[in-house]
Amino acid sequence: MQNHSPRQPHIPMVAGIKDPIRDGIRSGWNVRASTSMADGTVLEADVIIIGTGAGGGTTAEILANAGLKVLMLEEGPLKSSDDFRMDEREAYRDLYQESAGRMSKDGAMSILQGRCVGGTTVINWTSSFRTPEPTLQHWASEFGVQGMSKDEMAPWFEKMEQRLNVAPWQVPANPNNAVLSRGATSLGIDWKVIPRNVSACWNLGYCGTGCPTNAKQSMLVTTIPAALQQGSELVYSARAERLIMEGRKVLGVEITALNDDYQPSGSRLVAKAPHVIMACGAINGPALLLRSKAPDPHKRIGKRTFFHPTTFCFAEFDELIDPYYGAPQSIYSDHFQWQSVDGPVGYKLEVPPLQPGLTSVLLLGHGHQHFSDIQKLPNLHAMIALLRDGFHPQSEGGSIELAGDGTPIIDYVINDYLWDGVRRSWLSMAEIQFAAGAKAVRASHVDSPWFTSWEEAKAGINALEFRSNAFTAGSAHCMGGLTMGEDQTRCLVDSNGKYHHLDNLYVFDGSVFPTSIGANPQLSIYGMACKQANKLLETLKA
Amino acid sequence: MLNTITTSRRGFMQLSATSAAALTLGASVAGLTGCSKVPTANGYKVLRPGDIEILRAVAPVILSGSYPGSLAADGEAVLLRSLDKVVLTLQDYARSQLVMLFDALQVAPIRALMGAPWTAWSDMQPADIEAFLQDWKTSRIQLKRMGYASLCKLVTMCWYSQPSTFAFSGYPGMPQRIPASDPV
Repeated sequence: MQNHSPRQPHIPMVAGIKDPIRDGIRSGWNVRASTSMADGTVLEADVIIIGTGAGGGTTAEILANAGLKVLMLEEGPLKSSDDFRMDEREAYRDLYQESAGRMSKDGAMSILQGRCVGGTTVINWTSSFRTPEPTLQHWASEFGVQGMSKDEMAPWFEKMEQRLNVAPWQVPANPNNAVLSRGATSLGIDWKVIPRNVSACWNLGYCGTGCPTNAKQSMLVTTIPAALQQGSELVYSARAERLIMEGRKVLGVEITALNDDYQPSGSRLVAKAPHVIMACGAINGPALLLRSKAPDPHKRIGKRTFFHPTTFCFAEFDELIDPYYGAPQSIYSDHFQWQSVDGPVGYKLEVPPLQPGLTSVLLLGHGHQHFSDIQKLPNLHAMIALLRDGFHPQSEGGSIELAGDGTPIIDYVINDYLWDGVRRSWLSMAEIQFAAGAKAVRASHVDSPWFTSWEEAKAGINALEFRSNAFTAGSAHCMGGLTMGEDQTRCLVDSNGKYHHLDNLYVFDGSVFPTSIGANPQLSIYGMACKQANKLLETLKA
Repeated sequence: MLNTITTSRRGFMQLSATSAAALTLGASVAGLTGCSKVPTANGYKVLRPGDIEILRAVAPVILSGSYPGSLAADGEAVLLRSLDKVVLTLQDYARSQLVMLFDALQVAPIRALMGAPWTAWSDMQPADIEAFLQDWKTSRIQLKRMGYASLCKLVTMCWYSQPSTFAFSGYPGMPQRIPASDPV
């Protein structure tokens, strides 16, 4: 048994950071918790935006700058840099859906999704990629999506990249990410540096627990403050329960107030506006429409839900990796991603940060073996493969259902088609890890031992049995469920994000993606929402 | 719910019809006998006395040498309170699944049908619990594997995110944070 006496690595002290949200509230921003209002309060605005993540934040700034009175509704709490203490316990409870314990119906996939003002942009790992061209082409040819070719999208991506300071990471990769570049180089596998949306980043490694230095250009510190500065209103701890509809029009939103335990407080509010924009994501968006019994003649709500099912492969090194410190994602490889657009599933290789709570879950297992694994943490590296789901007839995605109380259930099954990718991705990752000098490698499958050579790993991984719930499948990317496209029998929103069956309802977020993206989706959402919000402004002015 | 047992998607995933039925039946019987109506334990928002008895028994086996560590007598309370908070924030479906799992594990005959010892949790030997966990980990029955993974994930996440366990993982800890402004 290893014994790690406490080390004293160089850990910076985070001090002297101003909290722009607290300062803004002091300056008179219109920001309230739903529970601070009387039961039955009616809120009015020109536009209601449900959800304050990548889609909602982007849209709020654009519409507020055009002089519209915007009301932002957010289910989660309002937390900001003074609250971000890099403590997993607090972060998962306050910033993640279901305390980071959200799972698919069969429990086989763990889903990390934000639930706070700023949404997942507050807790993501900052990787910022434009939507890959093959994905845009596939949407145009298979779903009739219009106006979203690479060239047509380029100006919108450029605009948002400037707004959020997206640029390839200039600092050398941390040891955890360097395993990917080093191993890939020695095997002749191409890799690149990840563009990140940060400004004066301290390279701490705690993007996932809320950026304590406000370096991450999340919606929380960029577009939402800008919209509030223009006089917009933000109501948090406010769950959109139901759309109030009459004929083809949405009249408003019925809101459930949530208390400090994130449970219904007993109060209800109503918001009214001539236009309603949903930006509440691929799980809660479809659930909201299902609860509202929104028109859906072809029963498409919540169908084609995608997750980039993500596999994990661990490696132990002699040298220190300290995988919890330093920019969490800085290197990627698309070598295995586009070998065939619609054939066997492709995958993107990246690296996750390994704080101990999350790592203990990803290692999977119990008892002596698990204890011995977690003790390796300082010398541990992990690689992930994000499977690009939704491009093949055997990858139709999952669906969103409702539980008895109207909350979402995520039915998504890892099938044979995806399992083939799971196994191939473990092989790719193990080979790269050994090429980078790993002394032992273990796929995140309960039957996998630590392999001590690539030959041994190859045979061992090929022998691993396909049993759901026996290997780690994760997701940090919720996409689809309200498919965009012009064919109304298969799609729910048009290429401008307008809901086909209602006149004044728009969906500007990742739920409209007809497939998964094939890259971390935040910039895809920013660019598309930016384009669609500007288009909406044109329509409103006309 | 518990009757949505994943049927075989591959030849080798054939379920044992009897055990699957026992598990489904188990949860229903547990429900009928009123397990799920039991009030929560004193000081807890979700966990019931029976759930706590199970967690008390399995935690030392799941967490092995790290438990209770330097927390000694407080370790159990720290873990249970942390678990209680997490379960509280789970939404309806996940929470009801977990409640049914605990229900089924609480009634001795049903527990035995599912491959766990008949003995009361508080009297079980670590070796019995280890055997039960191994059985569920490698089971042909999806529901058992799901139960195993859920129990382990919850317990390990709540435990290894506690600063007092960092000495075991070798995690040197997070940077110190000094807020600049006064609370609003």
